[in-house]
Amino acid sequence: MKIKTKFFARGVHIPDKKSLSSGCPIRELPAPETVAIALSQHIGKPARPVVTVGDVVEHGTLIAEADGAVSANVFASVSGKVIAIENRPLPRGGTTDCVVIESDGKDSETTLPPLGEITPENIVARIREAGIVGMGGAGFPTAVKMSPKTPVDTLIINGAECEPYLTCDHRLMIEKTDELVDGAKLLAKALGVERIIFAVELNKPDAIAKLDVCEGVLVAELRKRYPMGSEKHLIYSCTGRRVPPGKLPADVGVIVENVATAFAVYEAVRLNKPLCDRVMTVSGEGVNEPANLRVRLGTSYRYLLDACGGETDDAFAYIAGGPMMGATLLSTDFHTRKTDSGLLVLTARQASISAPTACIHCGRCAEVCPMHLLPMDIDFYTLAGDYDGARDRGGALNCIECGTCAYVCPANRALVQSIQMCKQKLRERR
Amino acid sequence: MKYLVSDSPHIRGKRTTRGIMLDVLIALLPATVVGCVYFGGAAVASIAISVAAAVASEVVFRLIKREKIQDILRGFDFTSVVTGLLLALTLPSQAPWYVPMLSSVFAIVVVKMLFGGTGKNLVNPAITGRVFAFIAFQSVMVSGWIAPSMIAISPVAVSGASGSVSTGATQLTSILGGTGLTVSNLDLFLGTGVAGCIGETCKLALLIGGVYLVVRRVIKWEYPVIYIVVTGLVASAIGKDIGLFVPSILSGGLFLGAIFMATDYVTSPHTRAANWIYMALLGVVTAALRAATKIEVVSFAILLMNLLVPLFNAYIRPRTFGAPSFVGQMKAKLAAAREKRAQNPDKEDAQ
Ligand code: SF4
Ligand code: SF4
Repeated sequence: MKIKTKFFARGVHIPDKKSLSSGCPIRELPAPETVAIALSQHIGKPARPVVTVGDVVEHGTLIAEADGAVSANVFASVSGKVIAIENRPLPRGGTTDCVVIESDGKDSETTLPPLGEITPENIVARIREAGIVGMGGAGFPTAVKMSPKTPVDTLIINGAECEPYLTCDHRLMIEKTDELVDGAKLLAKALGVERIIFAVELNKPDAIAKLDVCEGVLVAELRKRYPMGSEKHLIYSCTGRRVPPGKLPADVGVIVENVATAFAVYEAVRLNKPLCDRVMTVSGEGVNEPANLRVRLGTSYRYLLDACGGETDDAFAYIAGGPMMGATLLSTDFHTRKTDSGLLVLTARQASISAPTACIHCGRCAEVCPMHLLPMDIDFYTLAGDYDGARDRGGALNCIECGTCAYVCPANRALVQSIQMCKQKLRERR
Repeated sequence: MKYLVSDSPHIRGKRTTRGIMLDVLIALLPATVVGCVYFGGAAVASIAISVAAAVASEVVFRLIKREKIQDILRGFDFTSVVTGLLLALTLPSQAPWYVPMLSSVFAIVVVKMLFGGTGKNLVNPAITGRVFAFIAFQSVMVSGWIAPSMIAISPVAVSGASGSVSTGATQLTSILGGTGLTVSNLDLFLGTGVAGCIGETCKLALLIGGVYLVVRRVIKWEYPVIYIVVTGLVASAIGKDIGLFVPSILSGGLFLGAIFMATDYVTSPHTRAANWIYMALLGVVTAALRAATKIEVVSFAILLMNLLVPLFNAYIRPRTFGAPSFVGQMKAKLAAAREKRAQNPDKEDAQ
């Protein structure tokens, strides 16, 4: 059943470029020869390795366990031998320890023990056990989210997928509709809520049509608008509730989970499968054969690109994630993590390369900012070294770093970087 | 293989500063052409001198600052062309050649470049250039207005004059001076038979430019409309005659100022709401100053209000998404106070 949605006025319309890959069915990518599985694939403490070099593991063996409440288990995604545990760089900077496994080619699989009775407690325990985290990009351990401090009455499954190019959630929604709905119902059961809303942007009519006929879930048809998938704006669009600055969705009675997360929950509960693969979109004008792939965690980006026919000659920028919030890559020598929804290769025509010029105070950035901030002021005060000014006058701390402001800026200002720097400095000072 | 490192977002909208400035130039085209037709070769010369001086002074200034010539060319954003053109359009065609030239240099060097270049100026360069011209070259500037070559198409009978108006005063000065209108509203709208500055007389041409800017989303339609309407209303109120509404908005430089100068990004507030207030205030100031001084003051009014823009930016700020409204805040405070009182009622008594 469809529900009425609220209109949020800011944001911007961005050509979505989804047709490059939206017609490609999810393809199972064969296991690569080696995988490098990061121990930090989530917000919180990195997992603690429980294997050592030389250990033989199976596909689905626990290789690192959650270190504390805000952390997540990590599993082997191929069967084979642990050949190294070493430190490797991450796309956004920083490093993490990785467990490197050499595949034996057999791909023998092991699963979690059967769950028994499906009770809320058991579901949460299974989510924790299976190492499930928010797969939309944040990577917050889902089990922690499942025990909110305030009463909640609504679960929103985020299928907005407002980033251009990405289609992995879209494909999941049309190919695995029943599984997803089941996963959503399991999450709802764990939370004790009745109302499940699938929030989908209007540019995915096939997904909306499929979800619409499912029992027991509501569908919110969202206008195509970036950043519709931002938690706060999604909640407002679906329920009319506004999450106050500094508060959590649970404070207004809502929990938001990503489509891929709901699917992982389904697999963990019904099939006893731990989280060791995910669906990713490999797309962009610089990729020969854009595709949606089911990828083992720890697969190298190079392997993904090769599986998609490699890059075109005019390949120019490599991006992990979506083009609005993703990170450009210095090499393709990175490995898939739980939070990776896409790998894009853009050509020079698409990628933004022009240098910033002076702010002309046109006000466009403020006009589109979904958080109603003043990005030009944040930029100005931050560059002047006045971080308090940036916080108080521009509202830097409430920024969701969606990049809408920078997208529209005619002067090409690096607004998001100013904001990040300002937040960083304010954090350091505390 | 090359790897590009860029800042997110990695894709950008198509709008650039240069593109916007080109749009403004296109929007100014009708008024420029009409001005040249009405006022002839003198107008053409004035415009050419002003634009050339503006561009040259920017380039020279940056060369003196030891910027590389390629950088200057690559970074050329057409703002100085806009300034030079706008400035010329606000000057009378009979001004001697050095007036547009020197005002243009003043506008670019003193008002814009010395403040740090594009986007850093406090007041609108073109407007300040015009004000500079009127102050510095007072004697030549007020020595007499030239009637356009185009004669009035519907002369007003009461004026007794036929064809073109007498030189010596723009229509606005006639109205403000109480001598009454000598041309019809239609003539005011078309600028036929109306003396004035090169670009300000034909409202139709300005309006076409304004519509273009709105369609191209360079400016918001409300901004000039608010300014113009409020000016007309306040002028009518001061004169206690609603009949003054149309002539007061159609005379003088109001259209040029409202569409092209008050809306200048750099010297107007950042947010939409602040701009509404700003434009309304501009209207009030313009009408009041006109009534008080009996001369055309659009440029002075805008200049004055430009100086207040930092205040607008500092105090009129949007409410963060999800933050409680003022009323909401007050309600929450009241509720908290009530709760507190409910919790310890005796404390109230003790006080
Ligand atoms: S959009 Fe860019 S140029 Fe316009 S006000 Fe914002 S930062 Fe300045
Ligand atoms: S200021 Fe932050 S929240 Fe607002 S548009 Fe820019 S990145 Fe998005």
